[in-house]
Amino acid sequence: MNVLEVKNLQKTFGSIRAVEDISFSVEAGEVFTIIGPNGAGKTTTLEMIEGLVTPDQGEIHFGEMNWGNHAVAIKMQIGVQPQSSAMFDLLTPEENLDLFATFYEKARPTEEILELINLTEHRKNQVKKLSGGQRQRLAIGLAMISDPDIIFLDEPTTGLDPQARRHIWDIILELKKLGKTTILTTHYMEEAEKLSDRVCIVDQGNIVTIDTPSALIEKLTKEREVRLSFLDGEEAANEADVFANNLDSVSRTELEGTTLKLWTIKPEDTLLDLFKFTKEREYQVEQVSIREMSLEDVFIAFTGKEWRD
Amino acid sequence: MNNLKQFKKMFAAQLKLTLREKQAWFWGIFFPVILMVIFMVIFSGSSDTEFESEIAIVADNPNPTSEMLLTQINQLPILNVKTGEPVSRDTAEQWVKDQEVDAAIVLPESAEDTSFVLVVNKEDEKGVTTQALSAILDKIVQQANLSAVGAAPTFDIQFESVTSGSNELNYTDFLLTGMIALSIAQGGLFGMVDLVEMRRKGLIKRLRMTPANMGIFGLSDMVMRLLFSIIQILLLSLIGVFIFGANLYINFSSLLIVFLIGALSFNAVGYLISSFSQTQNAYMGVANIVSFLMMFLSGVFFPVETMPDWLQPVSNILPLTYFAEGLRDSMVYETGVFSSTLWFGIGVLVIWGAISFLLGSWLYKRKSIVATR
Repeated sequence: MNVLEVKNLQKTFGSIRAVEDISFSVEAGEVFTIIGPNGAGKTTTLEMIEGLVTPDQGEIHFGEMNWGNHAVAIKMQIGVQPQSSAMFDLLTPEENLDLFATFYEKARPTEEILELINLTEHRKNQVKKLSGGQRQRLAIGLAMISDPDIIFLDEPTTGLDPQARRHIWDIILELKKLGKTTILTTHYMEEAEKLSDRVCIVDQGNIVTIDTPSALIEKLTKEREVRLSFLDGEEAANEADVFANNLDSVSRTELEGTTLKLWTIKPEDTLLDLFKFTKEREYQVEQVSIREMSLEDVFIAFTGKEWRD
Repeated sequence: MNNLKQFKKMFAAQLKLTLREKQAWFWGIFFPVILMVIFMVIFSGSSDTEFESEIAIVADNPNPTSEMLLTQINQLPILNVKTGEPVSRDTAEQWVKDQEVDAAIVLPESAEDTSFVLVVNKEDEKGVTTQALSAILDKIVQQANLSAVGAAPTFDIQFESVTSGSNELNYTDFLLTGMIALSIAQGGLFGMVDLVEMRRKGLIKRLRMTPANMGIFGLSDMVMRLLFSIIQILLLSLIGVFIFGANLYINFSSLLIVFLIGALSFNAVGYLISSFSQTQNAYMGVANIVSFLMMFLSGVFFPVETMPDWLQPVSNILPLTYFAEGLRDSMVYETGVFSSTLWFGIGVLVIWGAISFLLGSWLYKRKSIVATR
């Protein structure tokens, strides 16, 4: 069942075409991630869906509801964490949550939210004294206070340290368990890969592609990067390089000191041949690795651009 | 959630925000109190003591005329003759030079001579004391002239001032009401900086994402500001009355109207400033200029009438002039609600408030696209 449907959204600010043509639909209970570089139109798209910006063209449907006729009803059903984690700095997390709770017809108990975002300990500290990660968690908490079915998280982990990011991932996975629909934007490929059911890649106001993370990676070439480093010095690496270049499955190689990098469409076969060779020569292999394709590679493959954080 | 409950919660939040905002307390309460106390100590402290002056008398050739004048001068309690007796002209001039006396009066040299000389230090030539002395001397000369021709004074001036209230406006009352007006005006002018901050941090946008009733939110904010201003009035009045002996004769209905209209108007001016200020600093810059101009041109510390004529028309369009006057009328003169001057002032305040609010709202609407990006 689709909880959100977006058709042919367009938005121009002055001479800037922020969103050219964006359409997608989001199913109940999924984590739907929009990724793209800065200025791709992610935030504008979200703000149109959240009812803050009126699209020049296009339609937005929350089930049977739309912004023109059901603005308050939609606001009651969605929770939003905007990029600027705006809240009352002189109030405590508890007071912020209590205040936001009064805006809605139904609200989850404040203690429950504090528990979920792991801020029970800091409930009585003024927000201005919280760390970046704690603020961000509170911002997500504020988005959840009305127990909404659809939650929008706009770059919830930008600027956070790895530990704080992981905290937020836990919250998002928790939301998924509760059956909520989450629409997420992020800069981090790793995050999109780990959390999303489906990923939508946006560039220059258009959708490049939409699919599950693994399917997107599948769509790429099967070529993998393999690395071997040798304990027996550069000579051994050189010998292995010559051997690898004669294998049919290997498309190219690169040598960096004692480390050999090679690209192959059949990593298993290539490695088997290589190990036979090293066994024969009694070379000791220190490290072996096969690099997984990431969404970053997907992005580069689809847009032809370098990924910029 | 019904509106009343929402209002109560929002008001409680506003209350906490205001209580925790140290700047608001400093500029809104502490600063006006200090400013008022300083002005009152400087300007009203000495006004109780009467004019007194120490002089020297020179009567080198005692004669009937000088004798007569000397007796007259000795009768005046405000003139203290140094050493109690006439001295030589040289000694007197030396005293004047050394500023041991304010002036020396040289009495006529003979019975036929009719001129006095008033010797003062060059530094004090334009001073208040010199002017007062010369006026006193003038009076003595006049009386001497009259008695010389054997006439009695026919006309006499008696100084009296009339007010509609039961009390004459003294400087303490004037300054107290002026300071109250200034504090409330500044509260409005500077207070709206919160809006700039809320907009910059995206808090207004955040609230617009919720179904919160922004009208109720604005109302709770306004009620909080009015409450803060009432605290200002009470505190300044208490200090003025109990420490500096100000006399207040309050007409509460007039005061309520003037207070509400005035506070709302200045908040509207603050709102206008917030509509075109991108940052807190930009806002404070504009608010400071506006507040500074009004502070000295609106009869807060000194009556508008004491300013140069060419400057007075400026005062006559500033809202603070009318707010201060309105507060004086309702707090000192006990002017009733049906006074036309009161309503003229209120009219000017309403015009300022309405224009500022409409212009501000228009600017906010016009920029809304940019603001939501």
